[in-house]
Amino acid sequence: MRKILLLGLAFLIASASAFAQGRVVTGTVTSGEDGLPIPGASVVVKGTTIGTATDLDGNFSLNVPQANNTLVFSFVGSEMQEVNIGNRSQINVILQPDTRSLEEVIVTGYGTQPKREVTGAVSSVKGELIENLPMQSFDRALQGRAAGVQVRSSNGLPGGAVNIRIRGVGSINAGNEPLFIVDGVQLNNQANSSLTQANPLAFLNPNDIESMEILKDAASAAIYGSQAANGVVIITTKKGKAGKARFEFNAFAGETEPMKYLDVLGGSEWYEMRRDALTRGGDGIARARALSNMGRLPSNWQSLSPEELDAVGEALPTYDWQRELMGRGRLQNYEMNVSGGDDKTQFFLSGSYNYQESSFRPVDFERGTFRTSISHKANERLTLETNINLSTVSQNVPFAIDGAFLGNPAFSASAVLPHNPIRNEDGSFNEAIGGVLGQNIALVNEFNSGSTRRNTVVGNAIASYKITDNITYRALFGIDYYFLQEERYTDPRTPDGAGVRGRASAFNDWRSRFINTHTVNWNKTFNGVHNVSALVGYEFVSETRQGLNGQAIGFPTFQFRYIDSGAEPVFVGGFWTGYRRQGAFVNANYNYKEKYLFTATARYDGSSRFGANTQYGLFPSVRAGWNIAMEDFLKDSEIVTDLKVRASWGRTGNDQIGNFAARGLYGAGGNYANSAGIRPTSLANLELGWETNETVNLGLDYGFFSNRVTGSIDLFDRRTKDLLLNQPVLWTNGFGSIANNVGELQNRGIEFEIGTVNIDRGGFQWRTSFNFTYIKNEIVSLFDDLEFIAGAAGQQLAVGQPVGNPPFPGSSAPGAWFQAEYAGVNPATGRPMWLDADGNRTYLPIAADRRYFGSSLAPYYGGLNNTFRFKGFELTAFFTYEYGAVVSDGQYNFLRENGTRLTLNALREVNDRAWVNPGDMTDIPRTYVTAAGNANELRSQGRNFGTASLLKADFIRLAQLTVGYTFSPTLVRNLGLTRARIYAQGLNLWTYSDYPGYDPEFVGAGTGQIPITRNYTVGVQLGF
Amino acid sequence: MKYIYKYAIALFLGIGVLATSCNLDVDPRQSIDANGALDTPDGLEAALNSVYARLRAESNYGRDMFALSDALADVGRTTNNSGRLIGENNNNPGAHFTAGFWQNSYFAINEANLILDQISSGVEGASAAQLSRWEGEAKFLRALYYFDLVKVYAYIPTAVYEPGVTDEGGVPMPLEGSITSDIAFTRNSPRASVNEIYTQVYSDLNDAINLLSSAGRSGPQYATEGAAHGLLSRVALYRGDYQNAVSAATAALGSSAGTVLGGMDYVSGWRAAEHPESMFEVRIQLAAEALGVNVSLQSSFTTLLNLDNKNAQGGWGDFIPGPRVLDFFGLSQVQIDEPGTDSNNWDVTRNDDVRGFLYTTGNTVRNAGRQIESIKFVSKAGFAFGDNIPVLRKSEMHLNRAEANYHLGNVGDALAELNAFKGLRGLEDVNLSGDELLEEILNERFKEFAFEGQRFFDLKRYGRDINKTYLSANNVLPFEDFKVLPAFPQREVDGNPNLNQNRGY
Repeated sequence: MRKILLLGLAFLIASASAFAQGRVVTGTVTSGEDGLPIPGASVVVKGTTIGTATDLDGNFSLNVPQANNTLVFSFVGSEMQEVNIGNRSQINVILQPDTRSLEEVIVTGYGTQPKREVTGAVSSVKGELIENLPMQSFDRALQGRAAGVQVRSSNGLPGGAVNIRIRGVGSINAGNEPLFIVDGVQLNNQANSSLTQANPLAFLNPNDIESMEILKDAASAAIYGSQAANGVVIITTKKGKAGKARFEFNAFAGETEPMKYLDVLGGSEWYEMRRDALTRGGDGIARARALSNMGRLPSNWQSLSPEELDAVGEALPTYDWQRELMGRGRLQNYEMNVSGGDDKTQFFLSGSYNYQESSFRPVDFERGTFRTSISHKANERLTLETNINLSTVSQNVPFAIDGAFLGNPAFSASAVLPHNPIRNEDGSFNEAIGGVLGQNIALVNEFNSGSTRRNTVVGNAIASYKITDNITYRALFGIDYYFLQEERYTDPRTPDGAGVRGRASAFNDWRSRFINTHTVNWNKTFNGVHNVSALVGYEFVSETRQGLNGQAIGFPTFQFRYIDSGAEPVFVGGFWTGYRRQGAFVNANYNYKEKYLFTATARYDGSSRFGANTQYGLFPSVRAGWNIAMEDFLKDSEIVTDLKVRASWGRTGNDQIGNFAARGLYGAGGNYANSAGIRPTSLANLELGWETNETVNLGLDYGFFSNRVTGSIDLFDRRTKDLLLNQPVLWTNGFGSIANNVGELQNRGIEFEIGTVNIDRGGFQWRTSFNFTYIKNEIVSLFDDLEFIAGAAGQQLAVGQPVGNPPFPGSSAPGAWFQAEYAGVNPATGRPMWLDADGNRTYLPIAADRRYFGSSLAPYYGGLNNTFRFKGFELTAFFTYEYGAVVSDGQYNFLRENGTRLTLNALREVNDRAWVNPGDMTDIPRTYVTAAGNANELRSQGRNFGTASLLKADFIRLAQLTVGYTFSPTLVRNLGLTRARIYAQGLNLWTYSDYPGYDPEFVGAGTGQIPITRNYTVGVQLGF
Repeated sequence: MKYIYKYAIALFLGIGVLATSCNLDVDPRQSIDANGALDTPDGLEAALNSVYARLRAESNYGRDMFALSDALADVGRTTNNSGRLIGENNNNPGAHFTAGFWQNSYFAINEANLILDQISSGVEGASAAQLSRWEGEAKFLRALYYFDLVKVYAYIPTAVYEPGVTDEGGVPMPLEGSITSDIAFTRNSPRASVNEIYTQVYSDLNDAINLLSSAGRSGPQYATEGAAHGLLSRVALYRGDYQNAVSAATAALGSSAGTVLGGMDYVSGWRAAEHPESMFEVRIQLAAEALGVNVSLQSSFTTLLNLDNKNAQGGWGDFIPGPRVLDFFGLSQVQIDEPGTDSNNWDVTRNDDVRGFLYTTGNTVRNAGRQIESIKFVSKAGFAFGDNIPVLRKSEMHLNRAEANYHLGNVGDALAELNAFKGLRGLEDVNLSGDELLEEILNERFKEFAFEGQRFFDLKRYGRDINKTYLSANNVLPFEDFKVLPAFPQREVDGNPNLNQNRGY
């Protein structure tokens, strides 16, 4: 871009120098960075005003007066170079990038700062790094990009929820969502979709992003006070730049495909497995019952011999339900933007269209966005600016986001018995499905329908006024508005819809959030060495949300699919909720010669969510840094280019709880016999107040060898105190829990980032960046000296143990796994065994035998990026990795039962491992089921009990592989283009993992979730 | 000029701040403050509805009090159509009444306690008759919840297994409402003894009888004086207090609550939305309140959607009659017309017992194929999966009284009552005495209340083993086995230092 920028200027200089007399010198200026020619580089005869600029191919031709012998070559961002001409008339120059002057500017709370002066732990991800990734929301694209930022897709729903954790899980019940800010507007990223996951952050086309800054330590984030406990992600969108209107067109298209199909049993294999299981269960008619379970029992079975029954079973066919229901999906993206303006007014307009199908039809994502950014300098002092993002997102919804529903293809595809044909010979759907999944899922999937549409407006209007040269007042009015419309239809031709003759539901949900920020900025330099700046501000946020929904049954025919055609309304519902927050804040910076840096901030915040006595909280922070590289002894060092140590302490708050969690309330509930009921819904806690996060951060930023090696190291200790814990209440006291400020949670860790230029020679360049994070999460204390709180099945929140990863925005952190340890199979009998408290094997472990086995939160994670460039070619290979998470995968657990408890299909690798003969050493018990369908061995726990069903979710993944080629500017100029690039890209091409389920990257129960996909795209980018 | 700008900006800033910083008060719009919520007649009435409504939960009468408890007993077997109730049917460890039963019951009890607390401190604008009715109904409901809890979680007074183990007692029995964090955090109720709970249930029921005798409202969906007599009769029978069981049964039979039906009237009673025999039933008024295709009683017991067309896909039919029930009524499948693929062309053979008409063949939509199923609950309210649930039927009073009279030595009365009852069901008189008479009374109870959740507790109160060898060899749950009682929810034991877990968990 910067090359194009200077073109106009270059021509001007060229014409001005045409009259001079002397010899003609020609040559080429190329970049030492990528070996490409630099257009628009300035070539000036030293000591004169005679000069020219290189053309699009980096060539120049200059008439040099005889008296002068030295040319000065310069270009923005490169080191100036003087060349003695001598007798030469041909001079080729390579300009090296100027690392010192290429000052990176970091967006921080309510302002910007040169990276050099940053004293907190801030990671920056530039927009170009995530450009053209076929991801619907920018949060997804952060995976592996920054140390301390853990990102997981919840599942493979396009535009679905993304799990983002900055420096671990800091809260158990009060939410772990970072604060997302787009152009100064603090967003609410709760999805609130009833039918699917509609990630609100998907409103923004990721390609409209200029940069993302992640404020990780409490000191950096404390200026956002109450919202900042889980870190802050500040998104800056692309803005207009002065100059002639420039157009960019960008398109990519491709396919998604499942990363894995599970290897399940075929028809005859399942018959044999079931027959043998029933035989072991003591069933006298095992063959007949196995066939009966499959819906294939001949009516004359009593007259058939065992061999004849076996022959029926052996002849059963196999149909691949997974490949029927899962498959490739299309994806495409088109966008166009134009920017330009003059020195007073700049604009940026963009529009985009994005479409992606999941691996399960008809689940998809379709988005149109429109963005406009205009800034205008009304006079010397007043600047007006507005940024408006409009978007509309449509999604065809899945049967369910997760769950073991018969109608859920993501659950049933691998679990339906394989001998069932999908279609009859005449092409119609086969509706006689044997096995517990008695529905033809292909039919259900075909006939049911549902969709979600979300219209979003995120925008701001900003006025800034220079009161004096060094005092600026800025007012921002922002809005985050969405309207969510959802509908679903259960077709009367499906089993679920048949009994009620069709069921239609509709949900509408409005949310509007207003933000109003006023700041005054002041800065001054004293004696040329003392740099002081300060900011004071006030902010008010109010949010309301309301909804209306309804359901009706009894439709005339399946063609009538809208709720008003239903004969019988089932329910109507509605709700209203809201909250307000206000705060005043101040920030002061001082530095001495840019060597010694100090910052202090404080914010006083109040939230309507808290008890009347405790609404307000104070959130201070201090930071300090020492720029060692600026000291005289290092100033001219070739080896040490950058070196800065920094330390910070800060306190932030968390109020991500229910809007009325502090109140003792009676709500509607328990209607009976046609009259309304009310019941107590929450216990009052007038003292309920802020959950606070205090983080101590020690950091080091480094750059060596002219910044060929750069990076940072951070050590942090993040402690969450006064946890907003849903403190359990004995059910005998009438409630499940009460929100209370008790307990402490700690996240300690290390973050390491390094970027290197490995090779930079002859136009070939190889760059690597790597990051690594280790976080130790631990509950420090609960309440009343309590050692643990029982969590969801098999999990416990316990002092000294980590918590798990809360799956979705708004959900609570699960505990550490607390279960009886699985001890494999008794080689003599094939029965599953566990260890009791004394380490002895038992068939019937009890509560006292449980021990801790880690949690679903990965303590180690990171990313590795390699880019190679040669001439116009580039290759990017980006890996992400995670280590140490322990998960329970519901889908795998069902299949691990190996068709015993329920007549579901089984995994081949599990069935092959099952115990068969005495002496077999294995972890899979003998397949066993009684005639009555009881799969538990007599006086024994079920086969998935305890840790038998826990899995390690470690993986290394090639998340992105891109091969691109940028055409030389000369070539495309003839086509009227300023830039042309083509590329091919693959996502998730390769995963290293021994995970037996679909994929280790998911959050939640794992049952019936759509797994994430592999994507292939090809794309083109044109500038003109 | 410069100063004017400054002032203008300062003013702008000031207005911006003032205009928005008024206050942080946001009130909910769908809830009201707990303080004073019950201090109006309408509020208290609505709160009482919620206590009734909790009976509808799957964990209580919605399914488990009937289907799960019969699965635990020797009433039937599972089809594996949806996989539900298999563990319970096989008495697997942990497969028993759920934590949800405990939770929902105690929440209901707390709501009843809060109502009673409010009544004792007065309700603004309420009449004396209203106060009496509310108190009577709340006490009836509290008695019902405590009786259900104690019969599930503890041994029944007539048969306590305790050789070598200390009597763990009954269940916690808070009688004061909890609406402040003080009580919620600090009240660690220990197990009251079984006797204390029965005494409290007696007291609540007697209060209910007195209060509702004048102030009660009609209808089996609400607590009435007759229903309170009826429940007291069952409680007394469980307690082994046979004198009271007889007198309460007599009072119940004399009340206006419910009607005892005979012959085919009895069968059609099961087809009415409101069972005429009901002294107290849990009302499911709307389709939205129905528990749906997965866990409703209808779905648990039959694959039929309704009796008009057997081919229509209904529920799962997870739990079907076992051999003893089939034998009681002479049930076996029979094809009555062609073609055999049409489920309407199938029915069952039946003997003289009219209760055989409460069973028929289902359809072949589900995995297990056509089975003989109970059709006590089959869309009789006019919509699927939402049958009203008869908690107390008047017929039970005859069986309660016969059994109690037997134990009191009034064998003649017992036999006469049994024979009269048999007559209502189309059966011949019997002439028995001693143990045989008791067995026959219990068998009659089995026949009458199969698929109504009584059998498990009838076995339990006589300390009998549960013989399920019809499921698999050696499938017998001895009365001594710890699995006769369910575990208390672990969180309650963990969180309450005064609460002992049941044996074996």
